[in-house]
Amino acid sequence: MKDLEFFRNATLGQYVDSPSRVHAFAPLTKYLGLLALAAPALASRTTYAALAVMALGLLVALAAGVRPAFLLRGLKPALPALALIMALQILLSWPGDASAALLRLGPIDVTVAELANSARIAARLAALMVTLGLFTATASESQIVHGIEDILAPLSRLGIPAHRLALVVGIAFRFIPILAGEAELIVKAQASRGADFGSGTRNPFRRVKAWLPVLVPLMLRALERSESLVEAMEARGYSGGLRSRLASYPAGRGEKALRIALVLFGSLSVFLASRAPSPWGT
Amino acid sequence: MPFVDVRGLFHRYPGSPVHSLSDVSFQVEPGEYLAVLGANGSGKSTLVRCLDGLAEIESGSARVGGLDPMNADELAELRARTGLVFQSPADQLVASVVEEDCAFGPENLGLPREEIARRVASALEAAGLSAERSRPAWALSAGQQQRLAVAGALALEPELLLLDEATAMIDPPGRTGFLDLIERLNSGGTTVIHVTHSMEEALRARRVLVLSGGRLSFDGAPAELFERPELEAWSLSRPASLEAARRVRVAFPDFRPAGSAPADFRDELARLARIFGAAPAVPRAGPSNPSNPSIPSDAAPVDPPRDDDALVLDKVVHEYLGGTELAKLALDGASLRAGKGELVALVGATGSGKSSALQHGNALLAPSSGSVRVLGLDPAAKGADLKALRSRAALAVQRPETALFETCVGDDVAFGPRNHGLRGKPLVERVRSAMERVKLPYAEFRDRPVRALSGGEKRRAAMAGVLALEPELLLLDEPCAGLDPGGRESALALQAALKADGRTVAVSTHSMEDATRADRVYVLEKGRVVAEGSPAEVFLGTEPPPGLERPWAAEASVLLWRAGLTSAPGALDAAALADEALAVLGAPRPGGVPRAAAEGSP
Repeated sequence: MKDLEFFRNATLGQYVDSPSRVHAFAPLTKYLGLLALAAPALASRTTYAALAVMALGLLVALAAGVRPAFLLRGLKPALPALALIMALQILLSWPGDASAALLRLGPIDVTVAELANSARIAARLAALMVTLGLFTATASESQIVHGIEDILAPLSRLGIPAHRLALVVGIAFRFIPILAGEAELIVKAQASRGADFGSGTRNPFRRVKAWLPVLVPLMLRALERSESLVEAMEARGYSGGLRSRLASYPAGRGEKALRIALVLFGSLSVFLASRAPSPWGT
Repeated sequence: MPFVDVRGLFHRYPGSPVHSLSDVSFQVEPGEYLAVLGANGSGKSTLVRCLDGLAEIESGSARVGGLDPMNADELAELRARTGLVFQSPADQLVASVVEEDCAFGPENLGLPREEIARRVASALEAAGLSAERSRPAWALSAGQQQRLAVAGALALEPELLLLDEATAMIDPPGRTGFLDLIERLNSGGTTVIHVTHSMEEALRARRVLVLSGGRLSFDGAPAELFERPELEAWSLSRPASLEAARRVRVAFPDFRPAGSAPADFRDELARLARIFGAAPAVPRAGPSNPSNPSIPSDAAPVDPPRDDDALVLDKVVHEYLGGTELAKLALDGASLRAGKGELVALVGATGSGKSSALQHGNALLAPSSGSVRVLGLDPAAKGADLKALRSRAALAVQRPETALFETCVGDDVAFGPRNHGLRGKPLVERVRSAMERVKLPYAEFRDRPVRALSGGEKRRAAMAGVLALEPELLLLDEPCAGLDPGGRESALALQAALKADGRTVAVSTHSMEDATRADRVYVLEKGRVVAEGSPAEVFLGTEPPPGLERPWAAEASVLLWRAGLTSAPGALDAAALADEALAVLGAPRPGGVPRAAAEGSP
């Protein structure tokens, strides 16, 4: 009954505790690092550039004491989506694709350009996933929340509620295991009463209907539990107004220099990538 | 001047035709320790919420430290001076790290960082959580989480602590630590208002309020409350300590233990025994001679399974989330059995494997190693019909009412039998008899909307949904958790009735008192069975079951024996303990153990 263990699928973005220098950086630095790698990964126009970003990410992972294999395993859940994208790339042909066809199967032909496109998409996605995985492996939940607050702090003068946004993210994190636990309990309760969840029918309407005994109570529980949390927060004096914070992340001179370097690296690589010729030839 | 001052308070939930609080008035002096009792739905939680400005007062007034919770300007200061701890430990955690969660209150006050750090350090110290300060909050045990909730309240440096059934969801060891913390804070001057379903906890308070149907029915000392004839009508019960003393007083009106501890009962009995000249049954060798002759001190021999057993777990290992970073051994070689027609209780701390063991009983979980036999079948066998098996071995999960999903009660109860193909008249009959069983009359409740039921009624409706499967084996996961004493008594009566039908019942519980009603008790610790046997074997041995405390009456009975007043401990409940005491004092009783037996030496 492994399908009833809901936490099994909630492992994305796991924190890896390690005494490394990377882990010791302030959340703000980690966010800048994330942006410095994710931006070129998204902007990269060649497979090699994307692979270079990925390699850089894996190098940082090594320095942080995070096994590269751990990050690469994070790609697994994305494989079906990737396969679909690649299949579409190959099935549909690009207008003006003049590259050599390698294989012809009736109306479908597999061209060099299609394969190159697929490879580039895969490389970019992999680079992005590795970067994100590296970030969540080195930034704990509370650092992710505090980092949002810190990175948006300059904007709070413009009326952007940095703390509230951070709190929303923090609570979203907290509710993932809570809801997974509730769902597991409800599924077990209904399975004990002989419910089978849409197995054996392909009719989507019926499938949804079969899940109603889980979805209805799950919604109710989610509302109930969020109401409890709101009460607990209010009772502790939360009003959404001005507040202070216990956690502080003082940065030394070296770390401040690193932040500037990260911003420069990110901007420069995006700039360079945008100047490179587009593989789509536009 | 009273610190809490409530006068003529009325409250009504939006859309409800009746008041949840009617004309409630009381005052609490600074430093008092007040318990609030009452049935499920009597308005206890609402009262606490009114004091903290979480529920709207319809008319009348409430003041905390002179501040009005209905005045938005005063509310902020009121909350800064009041700590509120709720029932569910996990629902109160705001941040993911212990010290950050503790800091949430002072952060909201906008205090400087150094001041927050100082308060957090001292609050965690008081709650005994200093060592856990940088751990993830979710990784704490429920008892620790609840102490963290208190620490979070303490960081506000409150003058008033409101506890809303704060011990309902933690296991006995966690509960003891929690209550000791509250008592320390109270002796340090903090005013405490403690809403609870536990009569033993009420005894810790110096004053008790009882709410019944939203009205204040009693305001006085606990000793006085438990002599009142209305106890049952208020859905309360008498704690074992008072019940036993009361029964002894029938023959010996002087019998007045100094306190509610088992040792107080023993001391009072020893005093009377000297007065009435009853010689000690044995030389006072008890304490220096800890081995109990009537009960083997080593673990009871493992009960071998039999062919007609309803449930057999044989050396079951279950690894939850096996193969991932979160892998955890839920069961680590647990063996247990429930003979046909038996009532078996599983006890142990939170996370000891009780729920996992029960879930193997209806094949929701499959063992990683070891074997399971349910009603003579092997659920792991190829082609085993698990759906059919689950209707014969039915599980009521913890808080089963959370899984109610139909609009009307009758439809929800029918969900199970309908899934197994029952239709028409037989289905109606099933639903009717299941609902009658849990005392929800079919005609009256069939078309009731589920959301209009009270908490206790929802629990019963959910139980009816399981009973409607007419299972041979019932697996009940903490069926009494969160129920008031009246509800708990009917749940226990239901278990007894199911057993009387010839059905097998396996139940997990945090209440040692409930476990004494079983035919056999299994004590689990970290996924292993560490003790098993009849309730007498488990609770009256020389040592209490590992990691647990004896039921009150059993503890007192062992103390009587240790003091040389009786020849062997034999009482598991208040009535039996009173009989033992009366035998010591030489009172004639019908149908008891002859006095000579009590005087025999070991």
